[in-house]
Formats: sequence, C-alpha cells, structure tokens
Amino acid sequence: MTDHAVDITDLTRKFGTFTAVDRLSLTVEKGEIFGFLGANGAGKTTVIRMLCGLLKPTSGTGHVAGFDVLRQYEQIKRTIGYMSQKFTLYRDLTGRENLDFYGHLYNLGNHALKDRIAELTERLSLGPFIDRLSGALPMGWRQRLALATAIIHRPTIVFLDEPTAGVDPVFRRLFWELLYELADEGTTIFVTTHYMDEAEYCERISIMHNGKLIELGAPHELVRKHQASNLEDMFIDLIRPQGAAVAAN
Amino acid sequence: MWRPYIGVVRKELIQFLRDKNALRMLFVMPVIQLLLLGYAIQTDVKKLWLDVYDADRTELSRQLIAALQAGDYFVVTDRQVQSERTPVWQLDERFKRGEAEMALIIPPGFAEQLSTNHPAHVGWVADGTDANAARIGIGYAGQILRKFSSDVTGMRPFVEIRSEFLYNPEGESRNFMVPGIVATLLTMITLMLTAMAIVRERELGTLEQVLVTPVTSFTLLFGKLTMFVMAAMLIMGLSLTVGILWFRVPFVGSPILLVVLSLLYLMTTLGVGMFISTITATQQQAMFYAWFFSIFTMLTSGYFTPVANMPIWLQRITLLNPMRYFIEIIRGIMMKGAGVADLSHDILALAVFGIVIFTFSTLRLGKRLA
Amino acid sequence: MRQIRFIAQKEIYHILRDVRSLVIIFVMPMLMTVLYGYAINMDIEHVPLAIVDQDQTAESRTLIERFYRSRYFFRAKAAPEYNDPEQVMRAAGAAAVLFIRPGFERAVQNKTDFELGLTIDGSETSQAAAVQGYASALLNEFLQDHLPPGTEVPGVRLSQQVLYNPDLQSSHFFVPGIVAIILLMISALLTSITIAREKETGTLEQLLTAPVTPIQLLIGKLLPYIGIAFIDGLLVIGFAKVLFAVPFVGSFWLLLVVELIYVTTALSIGILVSTGVATQQLAMQYALLLTMLPSVMLSGFIFAIKNMPVVLQMVSRIVPATYFLKVVRGIMLKGSGFEVLAAPAGFLLILQVVLLTIAVRRFRTRIG
Repeated sequence: MTDHAVDITDLTRKFGTFTAVDRLSLTVEKGEIFGFLGANGAGKTTVIRMLCGLLKPTSGTGHVAGFDVLRQYEQIKRTIGYMSQKFTLYRDLTGRENLDFYGHLYNLGNHALKDRIAELTERLSLGPFIDRLSGALPMGWRQRLALATAIIHRPTIVFLDEPTAGVDPVFRRLFWELLYELADEGTTIFVTTHYMDEAEYCERISIMHNGKLIELGAPHELVRKHQASNLEDMFIDLIRPQGAAVAAN
Repeated sequence: MWRPYIGVVRKELIQFLRDKNALRMLFVMPVIQLLLLGYAIQTDVKKLWLDVYDADRTELSRQLIAALQAGDYFVVTDRQVQSERTPVWQLDERFKRGEAEMALIIPPGFAEQLSTNHPAHVGWVADGTDANAARIGIGYAGQILRKFSSDVTGMRPFVEIRSEFLYNPEGESRNFMVPGIVATLLTMITLMLTAMAIVRERELGTLEQVLVTPVTSFTLLFGKLTMFVMAAMLIMGLSLTVGILWFRVPFVGSPILLVVLSLLYLMTTLGVGMFISTITATQQQAMFYAWFFSIFTMLTSGYFTPVANMPIWLQRITLLNPMRYFIEIIRGIMMKGAGVADLSHDILALAVFGIVIFTFSTLRLGKRLA
Repeated sequence: MRQIRFIAQKEIYHILRDVRSLVIIFVMPMLMTVLYGYAINMDIEHVPLAIVDQDQTAESRTLIERFYRSRYFFRAKAAPEYNDPEQVMRAAGAAAVLFIRPGFERAVQNKTDFELGLTIDGSETSQAAAVQGYASALLNEFLQDHLPPGTEVPGVRLSQQVLYNPDLQSSHFFVPGIVAIILLMISALLTSITIAREKETGTLEQLLTAPVTPIQLLIGKLLPYIGIAFIDGLLVIGFAKVLFAVPFVGSFWLLLVVELIYVTTALSIGILVSTGVATQQLAMQYALLLTMLPSVMLSGFIFAIKNMPVVLQMVSRIVPATYFLKVVRGIMLKGSGFEVLAAPAGFLLILQVVLLTIAVRRFRTRIG
C-alpha cells in the first residue's frame, strides 16, 4: 500500500485500436500541486477520467487516495473532487441550488451542508452571485462556482481539467491563490493546463504526448535539463520533434 | 442513502418549475386539448342533409317527409322536381357540392299505392363518401319508414324489439371519448417528458459532473422518475377535473382504484420513455420518436375507433398495446363503475407489460448512465 | 436566379445527408397511410352480441342464426345463464344482449304479439345506435321470410342506392384525408426544422453575408420541399390505390394544381413557426401543434364539422386542410370538376396568399 495521493503503474486505455493512454506510470504526493501538461489530444482528459472513476482502464494498476482504481471507484468518488473543462453545472439552477444539490449527492447533512455553503460562499467571494442562475454568471465566477462544487465535501484530492481556460488574467491569479490555500490545507491538486505561467506555479509537472509520458519533474529542473530558455520553449521543443519523429516512422 | 435521492428530486422539481415550456406543455396543453377534443369529437351521426324530391305531393307523402324531419337525424330540403324521371343529374351536383348527403325520391302514385295496401316504393340515394354516415343514415331511414308504414297501414310487425341502453343514459358520445382523451394525454406527455429529460442531461453534459459523485445511477433514475410520476398524476388530476366539472362526464367507480391502476400504467409509459432515451442522441430525436410512438399507440388502442373494427392482423398487434388495456380500465371505471374483478384481465396484462418494460428499460438506462 | 438554384441545391444536399429528414419524407407517410388506413375504421361491424335463448325452439334458433350470419354481429363468449342482462354482458364481454323469452316460436306461428328484449351497452353512442338499427333490420328480414312467397307487404319499401362508394368502404373516406394530413405535416415540420436549425447553428448569419436577398433565400429553401411534398403526395395516393383500392375518378391535374396551393400554404405555416421560435425543438412542437391537431380534429377528416359547436366550426374555416379535404375527396371519389371545387379551392388560395404574405414579411424583418 502506498501513502501517495495518486499512484499509477502502466495505466493504459484503448478505444478499439486507438491507444489513448499508453502505459502511464507516475506518483503524486499528498498536498502536492501537480501539473499535467500536453498538447490537445495527448490523452490528458482520458487519464483524469480514469483517475476519477469515470472510465475503466484497459490495463495497468493504480491507486487514488489509497483506493484501487479498477475495483474501488465508488470509494474514490467519495474522496475526490472534479472540475471539468466545460461548465457542467446546471445553468437553470442558482449557485446555491447547485451547491445544495451536490451537497446532497455527497451525503452531507442539512445543517452541515448549510454551514459549508456559507463557508464556501465567503471563502470564494461568491456572495453577490450565489443566488443568480449559474448560466447567467460571467466566466470567472462560473469557474469559482464549479470549484466550490468540486470541494463541497472536502475531498483529499481535486482533479481540475483546464480550470482557467477562457478566464481573464486577474481571475486566473485569484483562482490559483485559492488552489494554493487548498494545497496548504493538505488537499492534493492535480491540474491540467495550457498556460505556461500556471505550469510554473506547480511543484512538479508531467508532459504527455500521444498517450505517453515523456517528461516528469519540477519545472525549473526540466528547463535546465533540456537547456531551454524557458518552460514554453522547452515544451514546444519536446512536442514538435516527437511529432516529426513519429511521422517519419 | 436517501439524501442523494432527495437531492435529485428537489433539483428536478426546481428545474421543472423554472422551465416555462415544460409547464406550458403540462398545464396548458392538456386543458386546451381536452376542451378542443371534448367539443369537436362528435361521433354521433346526425343532422344529415336530406334532399327530398317529392313527385307525388299528397298528404301522405308530406307526412312521410315530416316523419323524417322529426328528431335530429335529418335536415330536410324540399327540392323541385324537374321532370317525372328521377333527376339524377340534379342529385349528382348537389352531392358533389356537398350540399346534400342523402336524397329521397318519392315517385308519383305513392299515396295511392300505400292507401290501397300495396307496397309503395321510394328511392333512397346516399353519398357513400362517408361510409359510416351513409350506413347509419340508411339505418335511420329504414327505421323511420318502418314505423311510418305501420302507423299508416295499421299493420304492426307482431314481434318487436324493446331496446334498453345501459350506462351513459344521456347518450353523450363525449362521456365515451373524454376518458380516452385523459388516457391519451397521460401517455403522450409522460412519454415525451421522460425521453426528452434524460436526453437533455446527456446533451448538456451535466451528467458528467453528477457521475463523478458517489451517487448511483439508480438513485439518479428513481429521483427523476419520482418527478415524472408526480407530473403525471398532476396531469391526470387536471384533465379529470376539467372533464368532470366542465363536461360533466360521469365518474361512477372508485377513484382510488383509478389512481392505483394509473400508476401501474405509468410503469409502462415511463419505461418506454426511458427506452427511447437510450436510443436517441438529441432531444429533438427523442421528442420525435416519442411523438410517433404515441400516435401509433393511440390509434391502435381503441381510443378513436373500436379495435373490433380493425383487420384481424392489426387486432392481434393491439394485444401488445398497453394503452389498449388502460383505456378499457379508465372507461370501465368512469362509465360503468367497474371493479377489480371486472377488469382482472386488463389489470393482469398491464402488470405484465409494466414490470417487463420498466425493468428492462431501467436496467438498460442504468448501464448507459454508469 | 442562379442564387436560388444554388440555395436549393444546398438544401437538397442537406436533406439527403440527414437521415432523420429522409425518414420523415419517405418512411413516415407510408407508415401513416398504412396505420390510419387500417386502424381508423368507423364502420360498426362484428359487434359482440350475446343471445340468451330461453325459448329453445327451431324458430328461435333460426333467428339466432340470422343474427350471427350477418356481418354485424358475432357470437360473444358463451355466458352461463344469468337472468340479469347486465351480468350477461359483463360475463360474455358483449356489447349487447338479446333475450328471447319462452313462447317465441308460438308467437311467430300464431302471429301474436311478442316482445324481444335487447340490452345495449350505451357507452359508445354510435355503436349503440347502430346496434339498435341492425337488430331491427335483421328482425324485419326474419319476419319477411315467414310470409308466404310472393306476398306483397303493404307499407313503404325502400330501394337504396349508394353513390361513389358503393361498397361503403371506410378507408375510401379516410385515406384521401390522409394525403391532406401527411402533406401538411411534412411541409410544416420540415421547413420549421430547417430554418430553426440554421438559426440555431448560426449558419443563417453566414448565409446572409453572401449577396443573397432574404426572398431568394426563402424561395431557394422552399423549392426542394415543394418537390418533396409532391412526391409524397403521389406516393400516398399510389399507396392508397394499391393497398385500399381507393378509386381515382376525377382529374389528376386539377388535384396537382390544388395540391401546389395547399403545400405552399403548409410551407408558409412552417416558415411562420420557425420565425417565431429559437430552437429546433420548439419549432417542432409548435409546428406539430398548429398543423396536426387542427387538421386531424377540425377539418372534417374524421369528425363532422357541422356537429361541432359554432366556435369550432369557425376555426375549421381557417384550417387549410378543411378545404383541401373537400377537394381531394371530391376528385378522388366523386369525380367533381372545376365548377364544383372552385369554391373550396378559392378559399384555400386566399388562405395561402394571406399566410404566405405574413410569413414572408416576418421572415424579412427577422432575418434581414
């Protein structure tokens, strides 16, 4: 048994003949902020879905929060939070109603739920927007609401799939401050991103390409290792030649 | 265990109350349809336009015409006879224009034949376009003429039939149609609601976030179904209220029995709705399938036309139509005060259908959702 | 001109690629023709009749045979002998019960007065009325048989003749009506979905940036559907002839002309609906509501207009199907010509012009 937040070995997912995720192995420590990078279509979303219990791996083993990914996905769901790329809350419900709904789904009792909603509203500064229909909220506030929903049950790990896509820089900064707070409290953050500045906020990052893991480590160490001028250049260099190499085969 | 369920039911309720279209469909549509259909559906054949060509013009012939005019069956127009022969071309044009549906031709010498105890022939022409009206109209004419004959000649057939009508003493065809309409509304609306609601979640992507939580697909499903059952009961209550208070349709039997059997029937409609949601990708498709299925079900359920009138092969197919049994049940309870014993056959059929379809669809949908 | 053709071609391309549309166009009309044609049969025949024979004589059995030999009645399940007609009815699942008391044969032979009791389930009024009529007629025939041959019975004798549909086939009445319903449905449905779809996906905006006027757009989009509606009309009529042997006595060309007017009217309704709603789903709902419901209920398709309350009669005057129904039935069954049909065709034309004008104007303001 491992003490890691996430521990996967040779995790694979195939869709017919197409291999979306090819023998992925990595560990994430508790309380760590882990960045998950890769080009579009590299397999990031598939990995997250497998870790969340939404998709069954074709082969390989893994543990999330100590629970077996293949067999104990019910327990996994109880201890993790998830925020997807798209806005998946109910647009015709208010923020409060969405939070109330999910609180019920996570089996929070009436009083506990009410307190928790108040707490989250304050913490994430959702006050003025909490009783508006979530479909009417501006982008940045929608993301905050989605985050609140993802952590309503105090999960030990939170999976975020490009949480700040399409959000303006100010909000992005504020959002990451929240993530830092959560990490300080011991929550493991597993986040996918396209923004290189956000990648630098992470303690460690991994890079996926065509379903395979091609790099893993702390951002500044990787930059040094590949003798690149910055993270972005390193990322592009890594992705591009690989693509060319594959095409040449 | 029950907290997630309550959460789902509450959410469905909030969404439903906020959805103006759904509300309109649920409340306004049934009422409008009920009013419309209740008034429009008149299957009684009456007020047939009858052209009379009286070439005899005697007191007896006038009496005959009067006999036909009495009552609601015919609306008589007295036509001028151009020549002694039957004015077929005149007839034809009137029929073609739709100004007449029947014609009576009384030849000269009619009164004389009749009063000397000879058979007096008259001609009757019917527009066969509306076959049913024609047949019934001829039937009316036959009856009226027979009575007239016996009155005039003083000769009565010595064997007569005394008829008595059970149920529906006012003879309102509406009393027969309205229960059917209620059943139809129930079917159509629950079918559509179910199919569309589930597909909508899939379409919008909200299902993904829900599936990340520990909620089981069955809890999800039952929460939604609770909502639909409540909506269905509301529809039924509303339509029955309109039917009884506005149209004064009788309700002789037990309301409780009707509620229980409706819930049984709902197992079928909800089941089919769920099934449709597993085979369609968009809401529009779902609605289309649901609508088409409803029409097919309605037409072959005996709601419009009696099953006994259909070709045998179609009759056999209707045995698989749950709505057919429900129509028997609702009509039986409302008009005849039927009880469990009388309806046992229909109840059994509904139970079998309900359990099979519901279980099958629930399992199938549950698998899809997971 | 060329632009119209391009738009029309694009529309056809869309239709051919959308399986759903194809199903609506070809499969549905035929399915509905079959369904409506076979299922809707208002002829009252094969009514389950239970006869309780308490006389048990040769005469009573002759009478019973006469009843069951006719196509109006058939023998209901045998019921144990109850005395209460209602109980017999329930047990036998019958719609009517005829009681023959003891003494029937004696009465027939001695020509003395006798009464037969007929208890009828009055729930379904037209069936009840028909049953009464049939029973009376059958009894009459039975009594006629007992007169010495060649007797001239005094009284009025009816010789009847049925025009246009001598076999009194119900389908001849309904099936032409189905043409009307299907054409309406398809036209309205398809156009409303089409335009709504473009609005929804935003491609309409794109289209309008091209040098195309809204009118050209409209005509281009409608043309394929007119063609489709025609094909469908022919399909249904052909089907009707083959499956139900519905005659076609009148002028084919006259029908086509009126069909053109009717189809354009339906298309106008479709356009109107789509300019008023935002999503395809709503478009479909309203299209169906505004076309199917009044056309089936209020046009005289099944239920006689003249028996409806005045308000509904007035509504039926603005339902296009009402007029088209008269025309299609007139041409197919009666061989009616132009003079007779000018009136309904004229009304249809007026409706069409009005609807089309409104639709075009709305389309222009909404889109342009």
